[in-house]
Amino acid sequence: MVFKKYQALSIFLAILFFLLPAASQETFCKQIANYTINVKLDTEAKIIRATEILSWTNDTRYPANELWFHLYWNAFQNNMSIFLTEGERRGRSVSGLKKEDWGYCRVDSIKVVTNPYFQEYDLMPFLEFRYPDVENLYDQTVFSAKLSNEVRPGQTIMLRIEFESKVPRPISRTGVYKDYYFIAQWFPKIGVFQNGRWNCHQYHSASEYFADYGTYDVRITLPSDFVVGATGEHREKIDNEDGTTTHHFNQHSVHDFAWTASPRFLEYKENYEFAPEKQTEITLLLQPEHIRLKDRYLNAVKNAIKYSSLFYGDYPYSTATCVDPAYNSRSGGMEYPTFFTGGAYFLTWKGIPRPEGVTIHEFGHGYFYGLVGTNEFENAWMDEGFTSFLDTEVYYTAYGDPLYNRSFFGIPVTFKEVKIPIESDGISSHRQTYNMDVMQRFAWEFLEGGSYGANSYSKAELMLRTLKRFMGEDVFARMIKAYSQRNWFKHPQPRDFYAVVSEFAGRDMSWFLDQFVYGSDKLDYAIGKVSSQKEKKPEGWFDGEYIKREIETNRYRSEVIVRRLGEVKLPVEILVVFEDGNEIRETWDGQYRWKRFVYQQPSRLQRAVVDPEFKLVLDINRTNNSQMRKPNRLAPFKWLSNWLVWLQHALEFFAILGG
Amino acid sequence: MKIFINFGKGFITTGKTTKMVLFLFLINLLFSLILGIPMYNSLKNSLGASEAGNKMVESFDYIWWEEFRDEAQGLERTFTPAIIGKGAILTNLESLIQMSYFSAPPLLVGFVLFYIILHTFLAGGILSTFNQDEPRFAAKEFLQGASSHFLRFFGLMLFSWLFLFVINKIIQNVFLPIIVDISSNSYSEIAPFLLMLALNVITLFLLFFVQMVFDYARIKVVLEDENNIFKASGKAFQFVFKHPFSTLGLFYLIFFLNIVVTVSYILVKEIIPQSDILTVVAAFFLHQLFIFALVWIRCLLYASQWELYRYLK
Repeated sequence: MVFKKYQALSIFLAILFFLLPAASQETFCKQIANYTINVKLDTEAKIIRATEILSWTNDTRYPANELWFHLYWNAFQNNMSIFLTEGERRGRSVSGLKKEDWGYCRVDSIKVVTNPYFQEYDLMPFLEFRYPDVENLYDQTVFSAKLSNEVRPGQTIMLRIEFESKVPRPISRTGVYKDYYFIAQWFPKIGVFQNGRWNCHQYHSASEYFADYGTYDVRITLPSDFVVGATGEHREKIDNEDGTTTHHFNQHSVHDFAWTASPRFLEYKENYEFAPEKQTEITLLLQPEHIRLKDRYLNAVKNAIKYSSLFYGDYPYSTATCVDPAYNSRSGGMEYPTFFTGGAYFLTWKGIPRPEGVTIHEFGHGYFYGLVGTNEFENAWMDEGFTSFLDTEVYYTAYGDPLYNRSFFGIPVTFKEVKIPIESDGISSHRQTYNMDVMQRFAWEFLEGGSYGANSYSKAELMLRTLKRFMGEDVFARMIKAYSQRNWFKHPQPRDFYAVVSEFAGRDMSWFLDQFVYGSDKLDYAIGKVSSQKEKKPEGWFDGEYIKREIETNRYRSEVIVRRLGEVKLPVEILVVFEDGNEIRETWDGQYRWKRFVYQQPSRLQRAVVDPEFKLVLDINRTNNSQMRKPNRLAPFKWLSNWLVWLQHALEFFAILGG
Repeated sequence: MKIFINFGKGFITTGKTTKMVLFLFLINLLFSLILGIPMYNSLKNSLGASEAGNKMVESFDYIWWEEFRDEAQGLERTFTPAIIGKGAILTNLESLIQMSYFSAPPLLVGFVLFYIILHTFLAGGILSTFNQDEPRFAAKEFLQGASSHFLRFFGLMLFSWLFLFVINKIIQNVFLPIIVDISSNSYSEIAPFLLMLALNVITLFLLFFVQMVFDYARIKVVLEDENNIFKASGKAFQFVFKHPFSTLGLFYLIFFLNIVVTVSYILVKEIIPQSDILTVVAAFFLHQLFIFALVWIRCLLYASQWELYRYLK
């Protein structure tokens, strides 16, 4: 009853809201896809029943004669969906699910609502499941609705959709585990109309989302003992007579809405001023067993807001909600506008970047995916790569180098002598997959999961770090901030990034970026050879005169050969150091396969280093970037000694099995 | 009191046979060097003349190590930061308790297996040495004793493995599924963590218990010239169950000593910087002193158990 009351009220308010001029609410951008949703969670049946009022404006120059929608949760309705078949290929098995564990999203009714452009009519007869990527009839994650009247440029159409969603057992990113609900991609969501076509991909295992910006006004009704968190501002909380509570959330200028509920959450709220007169309210929803991590979580969110604002533009929203996901919920490490999940283990120590790393990363997606509305299906590197770069930069700025750690018997142990430098972030996975794929591919079209991860996360991050050091920190800082802010509430493509890079570099940078974005070659510069010997005494016939000088020369002829072992070509610097401390710096365009540098010096050459400032962090072999004339023989002995004691201990230890 | 008396006697006996301990230590060292030499060459070749060599002397070059790891084959895969200092001990302890040693490189598994058998052979020599009226190490007598008991000791080793196999099967098929089930229905990671920890402790206890029983079986074989290994094992079980406090007390007293030595080693090692030739060499000697101490404690365990068996019989 209560639900019906709110349903009727919300439809009225929604119509009123969308009929009023856009200026009625101060927003950051055009509100193209606006949702008013009244949802009731049945915790017994684990079912969501909702009414959605969608107001969609055609912001293109082309008419739309049909509407396309995502029904993401249908990925979890059978094991033949694209998401689950692709997931199985990546090792994500769903065996052992019971009947009640599957999920779905079912549209029960969809009608066009009367507005100045359209008359009311039923769209249900015109619904059709679509397969834009893979013809798989078991996959019902996309449907379209044919319109009898097209939506012309500038026109707004309003739909009233009634749907039921069965909350799945957590398979990936969403679901219910015990009394913990993490509800994401749960409602019929309109695709993005671009250039006269609908961009509305099926739900793939290795891809995320893409949507237009708008206002979400959502009322969630559920048992009163549940603590709720969601995208946007928690405007109101009304206790109903039937033991339920309705939570009202509202957020404009976002492109998704997710929420969570659990009676076990510990809720902490804090206003944080991240810059003069700039503040946001941080909400932390924490699992009780992680109470000792409260400050670490909150500090991570604060550092993320503070440094992201500094590097990429002031965080514009008034809320940031961090959820500590429940154990076994598979909802950790995910991002939604103003709302994200971290991930923690109850045992963690100083120097271990958990929960900080994942918290910063997921908050960072608030920029690259949230504010910069990248198409995650098609340009995964533009959100994951940029966010990986962001999280590493923020983490190292705020916390310094993390320590190597390994878990023994479930207890993490840190090794204080082994610090992990920022340059190592992602290089190992890139090294192992660099020639499998190129970065710019649809997320589900990579050879394997490892290649998707390495290209979308690691390689893109490494490319940005290389670019940062190549362009110079100041120029890069201005460039990346400009790229971020100029593309807030837009859907940038790789060419948009290229344009900003070139603008700040003062020249076309396609030659640089193409090698990484569209190439799968390796970057590997090396010192091929160093040598140093006394200069030859002149001996033989010189201008008809035979000369054999006995004078001893005190000069040395030193030679350095620098090699390009990979196909990626970048200009590099070379540092040559002599035993008397003299240093010479060279530059090489890196175009041919090698270059020889010869010196006549009063001292022997001590060492040569190609890329001494470590600008090219994408170089897959850093060890061969330097060569000393006299190798350090102590290093292998030192580490053999350390390794040997491990082996000796193992022999002595395992000997108890023999008596 | 019995525990301390026999611990003291064992201490004196081991002290008198320090040459034997040294001999056993050298076998350990020389045996390790068989694998150590190729590992040295791998490290040397990978570091080459790179500046990474300098960094690896000053501290640990993580970037170099990742490159090394990504290229590593076989034995090289065992070179990780997790084997530094305390990591070495924890890695081996975890590998023993969780019986995960078979996931190690095959060369290493075969090598350790061979060493275990060699140690079974040497155990005969150790006990024969203690069986003398005035224990003194003499290579000839040691090897004679080792040879004469080897077959029976080898049989006892296989028999003890049967027990370990059964324990492993019970853990894998009974306890682990219970923990997995509890874990998949748990509110938090704490319950599964504690259960796994408890299972590890129980496994270690059972493993030690089986080995302790078979230590007494070996003692019985040498002391009473028992030819039937099953009878010797049965009597050893009877002996342990008849004197649980003395046998377990002595075992865990020496295990505690082992822990003290290990922790001391870790603490001292952590303060040696290993950043120049002197400190690297000093650390090498500390490592070897630690291994020598462990071998000494192992002999002390045998000697004390030997004395306890004689005392209680």
